[in-house]
Amino acid sequence: MMDAGRHPNIDVLTNAELIRLGGFPGNFRATVKKHPRYVDESLCTGCGLCVEDCPVVVHNEFEVGMGARKAIYSPFAQAVPNTHIIDRENCLNGDFLVCTNCMNACDRNAINYDDPGEELQLDVGAVVVATGFDVYDASAIPSYGYGLYDNVLTNMEFERVLNATGPTHGHIVRPSDRRVPKRIAFVQCVGSRGEGKEAGCEYCSRFCCMNAIKDCLLVKQHEPSIEELIVFYIDMRAAGKGFEEFYQRSREMPELRYVRGRPAKIFEDPASKDLLIAVEDGETGEVGRVRADMVVLSTGAVAAGSNAGLAGVLGIDCDENGFFKVETRYGSPLHTAREGIYICGCAAGVNDISDSVAQGSGAASEAEKYVVKLPAPEEPEEKPIIDSSGPPRVGIFLCHCGINIAGVLDIDSLKAYAEGLPDVVYVENNLFLCADDGQRLIQEKIVEHGLNRVVAAACTPRTHEPIFRESCEQIGLNPYLFEMVNVRDQCSWVHTNVPRIATEKAKDLIKMGVARARILQPLYRQSIPVKQSVLVVGGGVAGMSAALNLDAQGIKVYLIEKKGRLGGKLNNLARVYPANLSAFELSRTMVEMVGSSRVEAMASTEIASITGYIGNFDVSTTNGNFKVGSIVLATGGDIYAPGDEFEYGRYENVITNQELEDILYQSKGTVEIGGDVTGTVAFIQCVGSRDPGKNPACSRFCCPTTIKQAIRLRESGVNVVVLHRDMRTVGARAEEHYRHARELGVRFVRYTPERPPHVAGDGTRARRLEIRELALGRTLEIDVDHVVLAAGMVPNETSTARLQDILKVPRGADGFFMELHSKLGPVETTTEGVFVAGCVSGPKDIADSIAQGAAAAAKAAAIVTHETVPIEPTTCTVQEDLCRACGKCVEICDFHAPAIVEVSPGVHVARINQALCKGCGTCASWCPTGAIVSLHFTDEQINSMMDALLAG
Amino acid sequence: MTPKALKANGVLVLGGGIAGIQAALDLASSQVKVYLVEKTPSLGGRMAQLDKTFPTMDCAI
Repeated sequence: MMDAGRHPNIDVLTNAELIRLGGFPGNFRATVKKHPRYVDESLCTGCGLCVEDCPVVVHNEFEVGMGARKAIYSPFAQAVPNTHIIDRENCLNGDFLVCTNCMNACDRNAINYDDPGEELQLDVGAVVVATGFDVYDASAIPSYGYGLYDNVLTNMEFERVLNATGPTHGHIVRPSDRRVPKRIAFVQCVGSRGEGKEAGCEYCSRFCCMNAIKDCLLVKQHEPSIEELIVFYIDMRAAGKGFEEFYQRSREMPELRYVRGRPAKIFEDPASKDLLIAVEDGETGEVGRVRADMVVLSTGAVAAGSNAGLAGVLGIDCDENGFFKVETRYGSPLHTAREGIYICGCAAGVNDISDSVAQGSGAASEAEKYVVKLPAPEEPEEKPIIDSSGPPRVGIFLCHCGINIAGVLDIDSLKAYAEGLPDVVYVENNLFLCADDGQRLIQEKIVEHGLNRVVAAACTPRTHEPIFRESCEQIGLNPYLFEMVNVRDQCSWVHTNVPRIATEKAKDLIKMGVARARILQPLYRQSIPVKQSVLVVGGGVAGMSAALNLDAQGIKVYLIEKKGRLGGKLNNLARVYPANLSAFELSRTMVEMVGSSRVEAMASTEIASITGYIGNFDVSTTNGNFKVGSIVLATGGDIYAPGDEFEYGRYENVITNQELEDILYQSKGTVEIGGDVTGTVAFIQCVGSRDPGKNPACSRFCCPTTIKQAIRLRESGVNVVVLHRDMRTVGARAEEHYRHARELGVRFVRYTPERPPHVAGDGTRARRLEIRELALGRTLEIDVDHVVLAAGMVPNETSTARLQDILKVPRGADGFFMELHSKLGPVETTTEGVFVAGCVSGPKDIADSIAQGAAAAAKAAAIVTHETVPIEPTTCTVQEDLCRACGKCVEICDFHAPAIVEVSPGVHVARINQALCKGCGTCASWCPTGAIVSLHFTDEQINSMMDALLAG
Repeated sequence: MTPKALKANGVLVLGGGIAGIQAALDLASSQVKVYLVEKTPSLGGRMAQLDKTFPTMDCAI
């Protein structure tokens, strides 16, 4: 968010909407109406003086109506832009009223009550639609009492209750009496998976299950005294990378109870304002009323109300749910029916954060085909440079992080302590240092007090150090003279219950930070030239999608595939849902597109070696050598091969989803399996998935696959039974297909991992399935003709292990490649210049794999569209006069950065390739002569911290 | 697929939530001019209202 506000190539137009779109792809003319803010963005500093003087108090939308704001306001503390805005509907300056308090308070004359707004004409090549969703209105289900009973909240409201900056400052209290609740109940699927008129949308909103689990864990953190958390659910849809593991972890919480059942009605006890939830427990069949102090309704997402109007402007359609309609012809979730207009996030249906991020990148990649890129940015003219060679002048900035830090640590005491530390000339505290005004404060104080070292005592450097460094750099201070002390994660979060000790620890950490800051040295980033081409490894849908996107942007692509032909798993599928495309047609279309493009596609080709670094990889394959600037790994995963589970291998009529897919592919019209009468087919879900012994993860695509196959079989007259633990039909239209399958008469029976179904048979054939029926408490016997095992996905051990070895991309405990950030960096890796797409980082369906391919293309393109790439200077370097070329560093470096070179006849020393070096410091600690220095973490700097700590 | 007459050098991104911001940033870092249009007075969308994101519990801002 901050980055978007700062990027020189991005114009942020808030309070604005598209009102007309003319022209054609590559050359649209967009008319954007910027509604009046009544506050001049170029003048307002966001100081907030006007807010203090405004007499009008109204409900705050950002706090979903729970908090209050003034008629002139900034939406939230870290808002971008942080220009204030006047809500003219509530403002007292009008035709009959003459309040001018804010205008009088503003010393920059930024207030303009007659602001007419503005209409902008923009020439654009493409449009990306990312307009999101609206929250379902829970009051549409009167039986749940939202809006009637004080202590019934929605999940969005509860998020604000949990938030340190929210209306209750992160203290969980119930609205009726501000008392801390002891029992909180979560009701899932409110407005989602609806049955009948009153119950909302038919689809699954996908994110609410994980949201409820997260909230339960947070409640426990905020209020350890909580006695009980109950989640009422239908199916727990923890379908995404790491989700199932997160869910299982939550099950270990003794306070948390999962009850399978959709409450019929919620009553309020008028005296206590407690709530009584009438529900039938789906597992025991028991009907009862559960008492809770507070109820959180997990409301789902609905299409944004503005979609219909915007669809008209854009010339595209909405689907029956009001979301923008996706053109499914290419199997991609990013296309609309109109060329040049792409779609991402929740605008076309519900997605979670990581999928929205990947789709955002993917849509960017698609849009890039229609534009002329800007010339490379010119080197900024002389930037101010603050001389840091003199005696250190340290400024310390203490961040409250709302109440995340200030709620626990004693800020005044920290401030007084910090002022007494050596060379400290300035100390300041601030509510949110990461917000625009916090950053500006740091810059102003650097100049005002001649600071040449800056210490921020705040949150984690992992997410926030780059922001602070950039602010220092902008004002002319070398970014490596900035030091960050993490007093949130390491003090206020982990020692919440002992604030005094947490504050003492924070003092120690700040003291150490200052000691190091005093002797930090400026470092300078180097730039290395970039090869303008990309390697894509793997010719499945994700790889082909990446290659086609890059090619359309005019980038040279090498696409290599180990197998004899492109297409990957698509070659083994019959039909692709949700659009019911022919997998053969889709594969052929994509392969033909690759064939007619400039992509250099090489089948039956394997990687021999890859050396080099971002911008400069030397790739050697069994089919020739070439150089590329970035790499996309899209080598996919493997379908789990069952061992002897459910008598697989023993009985010939026990087969996998994949084997059934082959049969369906061969079948025209009615389905015949093995030539015999196909009476009853039973599916068993979660084979090789959600199994702590083998693979704890949920493979995500097997439930929708089973539904797809069940419908096909049922339509041919076959009886179908699906044995499952939770039906996880997440993804576009999957829930609707699940409903359709039930309407066709497919039977669904739940089993638990403790009592799995038993396959009985004789000779070579399975004859019968025995399953403990939970609700009735009896054993069901089902005569079966075929048993289909829904096998999940596992990593391709050989190829991922090999690529991990070559490129140093880390793998998670599940064996799949690890993304840089599971939510915010789904296609990036810790190896710069190397990206992942599709099942190589975890199970995904076809549409998600295609979107990730496009996303990885956008990332790879961002590198190779530049002539050079900057490299981090926090690396290791050799003091050559001390080096005796023993070679220890060469031996231990995982990244092949050091090498022994002959500097003059007979004189050898180690040199470290700065582009390959990660700055881990392993070589520096091993070097027997102490010749290697880990820049930014020198012995002197580390020792200074230890000395400061031990000096007491 | 590839358009014949390329002319404009900007992309219009509608929506300043997490998906729109990501699209805008990726376009901008590939040297594409971006107009990021948001209906409400500030960027951030739904994500800015969340407390933390699981499973890393990172700050949602």
